[in-house]
Amino acid sequence: MLRNRRNEAFFALVLVAPFVAIYGLVFVYPTIKLFMISFTDAPLIGDGNYVGLENYLRLPSDRRFGTALWNTAYFVLLTVIPGTLAAFAIALGVNRLAGRLQAAILALFFLPYILPVSVVYLLWDWTLNFQFGIAMYLFDMIGLARIPVFKSTAWFMPAVGVITIWWTAGFSILLFLAGLRAIPMEIYEAAALDNAGRWSTFRRITWPLMWPITALVLTIQLISQLKIFDQVYLFSTGGRPNDNVVMVYYVFQRAFQSDQGGRAAAVAVVLFVIVIVVSVLNFQLTRLSGGRGR
Amino acid sequence: MPNWFKFTKALLLAGGLMTSAAHAEEIVTWWDFFGGGDGVRMKQMVADFNEAHKGQIKIDATTLEWGTPFYSKVQTSAAVGEAPDIMTYHASRIPLAVKQGILQEITADDWKAMGLGQSDYAPATWDAVSIDGKQYAVPLDTHPIVLYYNKDLLKKAGVLGDDAKPKGMDSRENFTATLKALKAAGVKFPLGSVTADGNFMFRTIYSLVGQQDGELMTNGEFLSGDNAKKLENALAVLQEWTRDGLQSTYTDYPATVALFTSGEAAMMINGVWEIPTMTDLKKNGKLFEWGAVELPVIFNHPSTYADSHTFAIPANQGKALSPEKRAAVLEVMSWMSKQSLFWATAGHIPAYGPVTASPEYQAMEPNHTYSSLTKHMIFDPKTPLAGIAGPIFDVMSNYFVPTLNGEMEPTKAVEEIKAGLDDL
Repeated sequence: MLRNRRNEAFFALVLVAPFVAIYGLVFVYPTIKLFMISFTDAPLIGDGNYVGLENYLRLPSDRRFGTALWNTAYFVLLTVIPGTLAAFAIALGVNRLAGRLQAAILALFFLPYILPVSVVYLLWDWTLNFQFGIAMYLFDMIGLARIPVFKSTAWFMPAVGVITIWWTAGFSILLFLAGLRAIPMEIYEAAALDNAGRWSTFRRITWPLMWPITALVLTIQLISQLKIFDQVYLFSTGGRPNDNVVMVYYVFQRAFQSDQGGRAAAVAVVLFVIVIVVSVLNFQLTRLSGGRGR
Repeated sequence: MPNWFKFTKALLLAGGLMTSAAHAEEIVTWWDFFGGGDGVRMKQMVADFNEAHKGQIKIDATTLEWGTPFYSKVQTSAAVGEAPDIMTYHASRIPLAVKQGILQEITADDWKAMGLGQSDYAPATWDAVSIDGKQYAVPLDTHPIVLYYNKDLLKKAGVLGDDAKPKGMDSRENFTATLKALKAAGVKFPLGSVTADGNFMFRTIYSLVGQQDGELMTNGEFLSGDNAKKLENALAVLQEWTRDGLQSTYTDYPATVALFTSGEAAMMINGVWEIPTMTDLKKNGKLFEWGAVELPVIFNHPSTYADSHTFAIPANQGKALSPEKRAAVLEVMSWMSKQSLFWATAGHIPAYGPVTASPEYQAMEPNHTYSSLTKHMIFDPKTPLAGIAGPIFDVMSNYFVPTLNGEMEPTKAVEEIKAGLDDL
């Protein structure tokens, strides 16, 4: 068949143009602008003067930036791998069920995912509130001392981590379930004929075949948890915000509370770079380790 | 030809009539942040205003979320010309707003047009809306914190005075004795305090610092000289009450109100905006005998933290207010100020002097009892960092919560606060 290459290129251009235009307008342009602002002393609204690298140079000695960096890393540690494993385990369980029961159980696990973060906050505040939380009455009953979960630094991040896993696991479960269904039954039948036990079936068949999905879930989780803001913001209002601060929260504080757009932009750029580096690294690592033995 | 002339004239006339009809009712867009009991009252006032100005001015009101959401939205919408014609504003947030250029000055002509002026307001209130001698808002009220108390429980513990006020309001020792007497009488929490919310406790603690003539900021420096010591003293008193089991721990705002209204806490330090809650509960027969008074004197002299709800005109970028609209906005501010007796039922103390001086207000209880504190009010330090939901609030809050609940020593907390404030 004869093709008019020029014509084709033109069509391709027309087809991608709307996307490129919107992408450029709402992503590329603001990103470039962000980099530019980070070198100025701009307030939240309007332009500032060029200050070179000052906004970056003051970050290492900025205590709150240090706290934010550490808390974000801690939160990622608490949620990414545990969250992925929990979702995988639940998916394995749900996969064994059949028909309506499976649908019902899956719906139960998926339900939290559709809740807005504000509702999640209210639910857990009602549960863990120090004076009136339902859980506290249980503590009283079994004779434990009440714990001010969201007001103490030791409990805050683990609690928010658990809540985040509970809240977001539904989506990962769906991905895992789709992956599990895509594994052909014949492979399991062959394994059964070879007298493979449950554990070796899982280790030699399910786990390696699921690895691409696991890697995908890990990457999605990693990126979204690095950008955590909502839960931390809501649960720490009034409490100890500066001890629980995470990167995006710090950007928010600098920009909207302190009216320092330039310094906020610098922190945002740092986070941007971290997300890119970590996710590329994560992707490469999971790809390499998954390639082993195949 | 004459026909044509007549026709054109008629057309012009009709056009003129139509435009004047369109101009006759000036729509004033309005944003406020009153969500609770005071929100209901503000809606009533807006409805009353619209009724009284039928065909001339109509307020199109929207209520937004109090605090950071409201102020973030105002900042960004003023920058793109989408802010309303008038909005409510906290006096404590004015320094930041002026620095950002999002408020219009209320000029001397404006004050004259409204029929209001400096002499109508308490000096501290007028000062709170002034930056470098210029005014940027019209104060509607002042809303301090007060001490709520349960008369039944106090009487039972023998600490209700003959004047129906709590005993021991004059010194730290005596007030602590009152708390201890309540504890001894079997009250679970003699004092309900919002100990889980450092933002809120800022008001109490700042009042106690004010009772020692302490200042947060002097010449641009935080907690200089013995001001740090005064903050430490204030924290120490509150921590002592926690240690002695006299005050509720890790209690957030709604829980504090619930502890008081359920009778588990005998007294409560809270804003006057909770007055409607008490009034309404009492009206339905669901509340004990209660009262509200000025804070006790724990240190040298009475002093109470207050903020002020004001009306402000946003400086919309690229969208000037027409003179007619501006006149309408001024009329709104003037009318609301002069009708603010009704606003007093929301607990707030009207800022407009003639209202508080009126016999009707003098007869309102407990409003009249606590209105004496207007003489002892202190406002936030005047810096863009201050104000509700501002960075100072966050720094303070961060160390107030552990200190008030006995996790951190006041000395250490003050050190950290000073370091945190200097980081800003």
